[in-house]
Amino acid sequence: MDIVVFFIASVCAIASAIAVVAQKNPFVSALALLGNLASLAALMLLLEAQFVAAAQIIVYAGAVMVMFLFVIAYVGPRGEIGPGVRKPWLVALSVFAALLIAVEIVVVVMGASLGSVASVDANYGSPAAIGEALVTDYLLAFEVVSVILFMAAVAGVVFGTGGRPVRLSNDQVLAKEGESAVERRREASRAALEAARDSTTGESAR
Amino acid sequence: MVDGVILTIIKSLVLASVLMGFFAYMTWVERKLIGRFQARYGPNRVGPYGLMQPIADLGKMLQKENMIPEMAHRKLYIAAPFIAMTCAIGAFGLMPFGDVATIPGTDWTIHLYIADTSVSLLVVAAIGSLGFYGLMIGGWASSSKYALLGGMRAIAQLVSYEVAFTLAVIGVIIQAGSLSFISIANAQEHLWYIIPQFLGFLVFFVAAVAESNRPPFDLTEADGEVVAGYHTEYGGMRYAMFAAAEFINAITLSALGAVLFLGGPSGPFLPGPIWMLLKIGAFLFVLIWIRATLPRVRFDQLMKIGWKVLLPVATLNLLLTAVAVVYL
Repeated sequence: MDIVVFFIASVCAIASAIAVVAQKNPFVSALALLGNLASLAALMLLLEAQFVAAAQIIVYAGAVMVMFLFVIAYVGPRGEIGPGVRKPWLVALSVFAALLIAVEIVVVVMGASLGSVASVDANYGSPAAIGEALVTDYLLAFEVVSVILFMAAVAGVVFGTGGRPVRLSNDQVLAKEGESAVERRREASRAALEAARDSTTGESAR
Repeated sequence: MVDGVILTIIKSLVLASVLMGFFAYMTWVERKLIGRFQARYGPNRVGPYGLMQPIADLGKMLQKENMIPEMAHRKLYIAAPFIAMTCAIGAFGLMPFGDVATIPGTDWTIHLYIADTSVSLLVVAAIGSLGFYGLMIGGWASSSKYALLGGMRAIAQLVSYEVAFTLAVIGVIIQAGSLSFISIANAQEHLWYIIPQFLGFLVFFVAAVAESNRPPFDLTEADGEVVAGYHTEYGGMRYAMFAAAEFINAITLSALGAVLFLGGPSGPFLPGPIWMLLKIGAFLFVLIWIRATLPRVRFDQLMKIGWKVLLPVATLNLLLTAVAVVYL
């Protein structure tokens, strides 16, 4: 049973990983990445890591990939995208990077004794065990990560709203530029109001 | 899996069939109730009291032509309703209908749930968030502005309300000390969590209505703004699958509310499954009542309620619960 699940999940993981780069439609690519993450969650289940598997789906599928798809669907290209400009040094670099990762995987697999299955107690990977580890052994790392995430959230808000021009009140304009500037502002808003009124009456007349 | 592969498969099939039957007749109940709320009869032509109405609807849906828009992404367009439906039924599969029961006349015992894992609650949340991909893919693949806008609204709504929803549920988790539905239901033997977790229950309920896209939070299919939202371009059985998935999601969230706040399948005199269905029915009745009563909120109101009201209240509830659990 375990082996069957392992092979199905592994094949799905590899196939979807290939599809991420092979698909020409970015929306479908993102969906393939989602499939890859789901397959990894299935593999984690086999490693007795139920909490991590569920968290993987909730965090990546429920939040991260949703945002990817949101952006692609709104502002991305609808159809397929053609091949980009192929620079020889880029091709060489990517092949080199792929080789490096392959060597690393081989070294790790050869170095680790994967012949035997590690035995863990029933509580291993349960939410209670992970929660306890987070607030005892790894408390510092946990708190540092939460501070970083909080900073990222604040930064997001600042970037999201910072570029917008601030509309000053009449008093602030008066203090800064004097009486004539306020008068000009009033003129401008009156003109805008009149223009709006003209257009609406025009609409109804038509 | 507690009882082997074959029994699990049989139980899954039984649960899925019961769920579909329950869903079909809840649509009848909904139409009948809304009729009464609006001082009319509701469906009463097909069979006694209109009881054959769901079957007539199914027949009508099955006969319709399956259209695919010319510009649509064909494969994803066809897949989207299946994704929505699969996730909706899958999430319901973890709901407990009791602990262990003995089949009358024999000494065979059977577990009245399909699976009870240490992370059941998270699994339901995970499958629920996957279900939203059905709406999003459907909205994108139809290649229609209204469908795309509806799908995007669904996602924005999900992201905003899932935070408050999860925080509200964490209060229950802290008090029960478990993520398993059976343990949570058993922990409420003496006192239903709706009383100590009342604040959390309010947030849970509002967020659940929003997550199941029910009125007054059904902005994904606001007919005055985005026609029918993500399923604008769908017809026949494909549309029916979207509608069914949405209603089944409402049933699942009702079941979740029953387990987390109303003691799950426990209750006097009647067996567990009956109590569970009664509690789900109570939740659904309130949902239908709300649908017949309240007007739809605006989109900025929806966001304001989610981030500025529900989230702080849920956080407060979480803090109070944590303090109470540690010091009381």
